[in-house]
Order: sequence, then C-alpha cells, then structure tokens
Amino acid sequence: MSRRAPRTAPLIVALITSVAAVTLAVCVTAFLRGYRTVAVQNARTSSAQAVSQVVGTVSNYVQNLDDTISDVMGEMYAAPGDRDEYLEAWLNARSEVVAVTTYTEAGALQNCWALDHTPRRQVLQNLSFDLAAAQNSPDGYISAPHVESIFAGYYPWVVTVVRPMPAGASFRWVAVDVRFSNIGASISGVGIGQHGYCFLMDDQGNMVYHPQQQLLYAGIKQEDTARLATLAEGTYVEDTIICSIQDVPDSAWRVVGVSFIDETVNESFWQMARIALATAALILAAALLVGWVISHMLSRPLQRLENAMEAFEQDADGFAFQPVAGTREVQELSDSFGHMVGRIQALMTTVREEEVNLRKTELKALQAQINPHFLYNTLDSIAWMCERGKNADAVKMVHALAKLFRISISRGHELIPIEKELQHAEAYLLIQKFRYKNQFTYHFTVDEGCLHCLCNKITLQPIIENAITHGLDLLVEPGHIEIEVCADGSDILFKVSDDGIGMAPEQVAQLLHSEPGDRTGIGIKNVNDRLRIYFGPQYGLSIESVPDEGTTVTIRMPRVPEDREGDYDKTR
Amino acid sequence: MTRPVKCLGALALAAACLLGGCAAAGDGPARYQVAMVAKSTETDFWKAVFVGAEAAATEYNLDLSITGPDTEEDYEAQNAMIAQAVQDGAQALVFSAIDYDANAPAIEAAAAQGVHIVVIDSDVNAASVATYIGTDNYLAGRMAAEAALEGVPEGALKVGIVNYDINSANGQARERGAVDTFTASGRSEVVATIHTLAEAESARRDTLDMLRAHPEINVLLAFNEPTSVGAAQAVEELQLGDALWMVGFDSNLVTIDALQTGIVDALVLQNTYEMGYFGVQSAYKLLAGQRSEVERHVDTATRIINRDNLFALDSQKVLFPVS
Repeated sequence: MSRRAPRTAPLIVALITSVAAVTLAVCVTAFLRGYRTVAVQNARTSSAQAVSQVVGTVSNYVQNLDDTISDVMGEMYAAPGDRDEYLEAWLNARSEVVAVTTYTEAGALQNCWALDHTPRRQVLQNLSFDLAAAQNSPDGYISAPHVESIFAGYYPWVVTVVRPMPAGASFRWVAVDVRFSNIGASISGVGIGQHGYCFLMDDQGNMVYHPQQQLLYAGIKQEDTARLATLAEGTYVEDTIICSIQDVPDSAWRVVGVSFIDETVNESFWQMARIALATAALILAAALLVGWVISHMLSRPLQRLENAMEAFEQDADGFAFQPVAGTREVQELSDSFGHMVGRIQALMTTVREEEVNLRKTELKALQAQINPHFLYNTLDSIAWMCERGKNADAVKMVHALAKLFRISISRGHELIPIEKELQHAEAYLLIQKFRYKNQFTYHFTVDEGCLHCLCNKITLQPIIENAITHGLDLLVEPGHIEIEVCADGSDILFKVSDDGIGMAPEQVAQLLHSEPGDRTGIGIKNVNDRLRIYFGPQYGLSIESVPDEGTTVTIRMPRVPEDREGDYDKTR
Repeated sequence: MTRPVKCLGALALAAACLLGGCAAAGDGPARYQVAMVAKSTETDFWKAVFVGAEAAATEYNLDLSITGPDTEEDYEAQNAMIAQAVQDGAQALVFSAIDYDANAPAIEAAAAQGVHIVVIDSDVNAASVATYIGTDNYLAGRMAAEAALEGVPEGALKVGIVNYDINSANGQARERGAVDTFTASGRSEVVATIHTLAEAESARRDTLDMLRAHPEINVLLAFNEPTSVGAAQAVEELQLGDALWMVGFDSNLVTIDALQTGIVDALVLQNTYEMGYFGVQSAYKLLAGQRSEVERHVDTATRIINRDNLFALDSQKVLFPVS
C-alpha cells in the first residue's frame, strides 16, 4: 500500500508559512545587507565631514595666527617702547599666546614678552627653540607640543611657531608659544557618533592635540600616530574603527577622525535588524493565521463531507444527508453529493422493488405452469384405472387432481391457510401414491392451532416431490413420508422427513442454489427464495440429510394470522 | 486543532518579545554612582589624581563625586565623608586612607551596605577592599635612597628624613625602603628622622629645626608632596642647595622649580593620574560585574625625575598636566 497523501489543512498552512518564511528571509537579508552597506557609507561620510570641519577650523586658526605673527614681526622694527606696547596689547588680545621670544643667530634667547611672567635667569632647557630645526627650515617651523620651560612656576603645554626675521633685524628668529586651549575646545567639541572623536597630529606622528591627551600621556590610551602619519588622506575602515584623515592645508598637521563602527553602524543596524525581524515574525504569524483560516474554510467542510460519504457507504439506506456549509465550492460539492445520495437511494428502492416484482411474476408464471409430465402421468393413471374398472379410484384421482389445481390457483392469493396447503400436499401425495403403486406411505402430524395461519402456497409440494423422486423412488422397499406442522415460538415449522436414500452434502447444496430442471414445476430453491422475499433472510429452508438414512427438510416461517395477510402479500 | 493555535501563540509571543526588546533598547541603564574620598583636595598630587578619575568617569559614563578633608591628618572627617557618600547612594567608593587602622571601621560599614571598595594610594586595614591601586611604597623609598646614593657617589651620607603622619602606611613603607637601602650601602647613616604634618609650612619649620640641630646632614629625604615643598623651602632658606642632596616626593610647581635651581636634586614621581583613572575604572568594573578582571593589588609606575630628564618628552607628559 502506498503512503497516504497528506491532509489539506496542514499542507496549506505549511505551504503558505514556508513561502512566507523564505520570502521574508530573503527580503530581510537583502534589506539588512543593503542597510548595513549604506550605514557604513554614511558613517564614513559623517566621519569625513566632521574631520573636514575640524580641518577648516584649524586651518582658519593657523592662517589667522600666521597673519598676526606677520604683523608682530613687522612691529619688531619699531622703537622698543612702541614695540613693547604693541606686543603687550597683542598678548592681551590673544590669550592663547603664552610668550613671544627672539633669538640671535647663535640661538641665544634675546628678548621675551609674556604677560605676568619673566624668564628665569638661568634656563635649564629652552624647549621653545631648536637651533638645528630653525637652521634647517628657511621658512620657519611649528614645533611639536612641549611644556613652556623658561618660566618659574608656569608650565603650560604649547606649540611654538618659529619664523626667521628678514635680514636687517637685530635678531634672527622670532618664536611664538601658543597654547592649544582655544583650538582644543573646538576639536574636542566635534564628536562622531557617541564616542568618536577627532585629534590633531603632525606629519612626524607627534600628537598635537587630542581630547584625551592626558590619557595618552599617562600611557593608558594609545593612538598609532606613527602609522597614521604615513597614510595618505582618506577614510579607512579598519576592523571596528573608521579612521578619517585629512591634512590641514599649508601646515604640517593633519586631522584624524576616529569613530567606531560598533556604535555608528552596528547600533542602528541591530535596531533596524530587530525591527525587521519583529516585522518578519509578525508577517509570518499573519501568514500562519491566514493559512490556518483558509485551510479550515476548506478542510473542515471537506472532512465533514468525507465523514458523510463514509456513513453513506456504511449504511446507504438509513443515511440522511445534512448539507455541509462552507465556501461556494464546498456548497456545490455538498449539494451534488446530496443530490447523488437522493438519486442512489431512489435507485436502490426501485431496484429492490423491481427485483421483488420480477420474482413474483416469475413465480406466478411457474405456478401457472402445469407440469406436462405430471399431468400426462396422472391422466395416464386415471385412464388405466378406468380401463380396469377401478372407477372409485379413478374418481379419487380426478378429485385429487382437481383439488391440486384449485388450490394452486387459489384465486391469485400467494398466502393461503395452512389447512389448504396441507390439502394440496395430500392431494399431491394421493396422486403420487397411485402412480407409484403404494410404494410409500405418508402421515401428517399437524398442530391444530396452526391450521388457520397463512403460508405461501405450493411450499410443501416441491419438497414432497423431491422426497419421492430423490429419496423414495429408488428404494426397493416401501418408504414413508412424515409431514409435521408445529409452532415454534412466534414461528411455524414444517418438517418433511423421508427414510429414503438420503443425499450427500454437495447434493444438498445444489438443491438450495440451482434452478430446477424442467421435470418439476417449482424447485426447492424457489420455495426458499420466496420465503426469504416475503419474510426476510432469517426464514427459509434447511436440509438435514444422512445418506442411506433419509432426509429431513425443515421450513421456518413466521406465524401469520389470517387477518394479517396484507402485511406480507406484496403482490397487492 | 490545538497544535496550530499553540504555534500561533508562540509566534505572537516571540514577536511581542522582539518588539518589546526594541522598545526597551531605547533606555540606557542608569549611571553608576561612584564616590571618591581623597586625603586632600589641595595638593597637586591629588589634583592630578582627580583629573585621571574624571577622565575615567567620562570614559565609563559614571557619576563621580570627589571629596577630601582639609588636612591630611583628619581621618575622622574622612570617615564622615564615607558615611555621607554611602547615604547619598554611592555604589562604589574610591578611597585613600589617612589612617591605616582608624579608617577601617567606616570602610567596613560601607562595605556592609553593599558598596564596592577600591583603595588608591594609601591602603586601609579592611578585608572588604576589592583592590588596592597605588605605588609600591617600599620600592619608592628604595628608589629615593638609591637616587641619593647615586647623587653622592663618594663619602659618607648623613641622612635626614622628613616624614609625615606616623600612622600613614605609605610614609612608613617609604621610610623603611629608604632606610634599608641606606643601611645596605654601608656608607650611610640616618642622622635624624622627623614626623611632621603633611603641610608645607610645618614641614618647613620642622626641617629648619632638624637641619640646624644636625648641620652634618648632607642628604635630605622628604616622603610626600607637602613635606617636600616645606623641606625644599627650608633648604633654600638656609642656602644649602649645593651642600645638600635632596630627594623629594611627587611633583609640585615649587619642587619642579626647585629642581631647576638645584635646591632639589631628584623627585620620586608617582603616577597619580593612573591612580585616579584606574581607581575609577576598577570601581566601574566591580559595578559592571567584571570582578574577575580586577586584580587585588595594582602597582602604579614610579619614576625618578632629575635635572637631566626633567624636560624629556616622557617626563613632561607625566609631570605637567594638560589643562
């Protein structure tokens, strides 16, 4: 047996759900991949934008500082009094400038202008001026950050702008120490994402300004400035960090923006992923629900139809069809089935009725037939009796024959009183006894209470005929036929026993199942069939036969009082 | 048909959880409350510690409060500050003990309330301390003595020691380290040891007295920032800058200036910024449940600063805070 096909409901649910799941998975994956790409691109762009903003600020600042330093240098040629006054005012105006110092050709400190501070008499080490660097840079230079080391008790971090003086000045170089607090604040203020930041470094890898400079100095945090100094301008995505580098124009500085993919991209990515997944889950749930609803709309009624068909199959007669509600297809199916059930039941009834009618017609035809052999033999016997002068016997025979025919006609009734049936049997026996020259005897044992009940006509005759022809005819000695009628509960039993040669079981079976030959009028099978048609399958014939001992045929039929004839006689 | 219904229920629940997760992700966790109780709020040493602590507080998004007594002897004020911090809802305490024993009950009481204890710079005699972050003081004392032995390469060393509160574990450990090293050298003798208040003026006076009482002293050690300042002032006052080899502790504008003028010859520099930073960082780790990452004892780096390396870039970075 092949595997059973799956049920519709789970199939539809599974199909819809899996299609939805696959579609959603593809869409969500594609969406999230695209979203991440865009997010990384955005993060790069915003990083680059933040950096160029800082570059602009720093560039402006440096340009501005440069311009004012040029002004200061121009003022150096003025008279010392005017010059000092100008520098004093300038220092006051530019609070980030810590000191202005001048140096001779040999690198010795010549003059120093600073607010509230004067240089030590003996400077241990002047970090603001590097003679070798100054000699190597004809246009001056900007130093790496350092501590202002020429004052007592004042050590701010500064960068020094060193410029050579044009020829003719009383000194060779001017150095301006600038604190980075102002520009630092604007660099610190630029954030990229939550923790991203910008810092300023020079092309040697020295950190100029970092929002967490002290952390770097304490060695707690590191920036790989040496490597960053070698990289070209641009935006680099490395591992989890986005690094954006831009040079500050006209200076040795570059601005580096550091931001973290984790927070700029991943956070929004996961937020989006959560939303997408939640949406997907909802859609999936909806798909499941829809699948469930559809399958139920279809499968429940189908299931009911299936059950109805099964019930119909089990009991076609007793089945009463309840229409199944559902969608139009289901309703149409249900209506068709209902219609079909009606048709089948009507057909079955018709067939059954036709069958019964056919049988009865057949029966009547048979009953109407006069077995020509029987008639011929009987008439021959009567003729013979007349010839011999046995007129009395001839008269008896003729009377018996007349009774036989009269009862077998019975004005068309199928059911006749048992009394009549017994008379019919006796007439037949009488005739046969003459014919067989008293080769057998017979005896009736009748329950008087049964006499007025009804039975099918010509029930006993075929049995007696069978007893004579198959049981007694072949006996050498005279045989005996015992006919008994008795009540058995609500039934009546007829027993026809002979002490003839008996029958083998196969012969018995053949008697009950095969149509009679032409020799006899109504066969035993016919009797059995009639009883069953009239009274039901529990009634009919049973044959017990023992070879060489005899045969007993028992006929069982319900007790039918005379006034109940109509309940059974289906010919009317 | 109960199975599909259950499936649907489970799915709906999952979806709800996801949506709920999205909604909940909007609010960050509440900020941790961390209190720092220092030994002082005035000295450059502690100011540098606070800079480091605040950097860490910014880095880890913590609420940091900083308090300290007016004098470095007032352990009772410190105990009151501990109790106040706990009352104000501090979840972790970054503490530096003035008195190794006298501060212990207050710390234990705070720990009993579930407050995590991180000790920086000066330890306290309490079992509830999760981590100690600070200088290896015995080693720092040895470094000071070794610097003096190097500075006076020949002849006998007559050593004067200016120490602070005798109940401070740090000062005692430094003194032990120095004395052990001097003893081991075989050519040194500790002539005098004074315990003065951790405050420049009294240190100056007591040092003057000591130097006057023991004119043979040619090596002077001071074991913390205020005593170094006071001792340097005393040396300057007596104009003993050339005759005396002085080793101070910690950096301070006065001692840095004095180093350049030759009054002070070496400074033992503790990494104060690191103490503050790591102190608060450890507090964060304890609060965030990363206790396994917090070591019981963390030694911060100590270095010797002298005239040769004063303005080296590394020294600049450690000595001069970025404003």
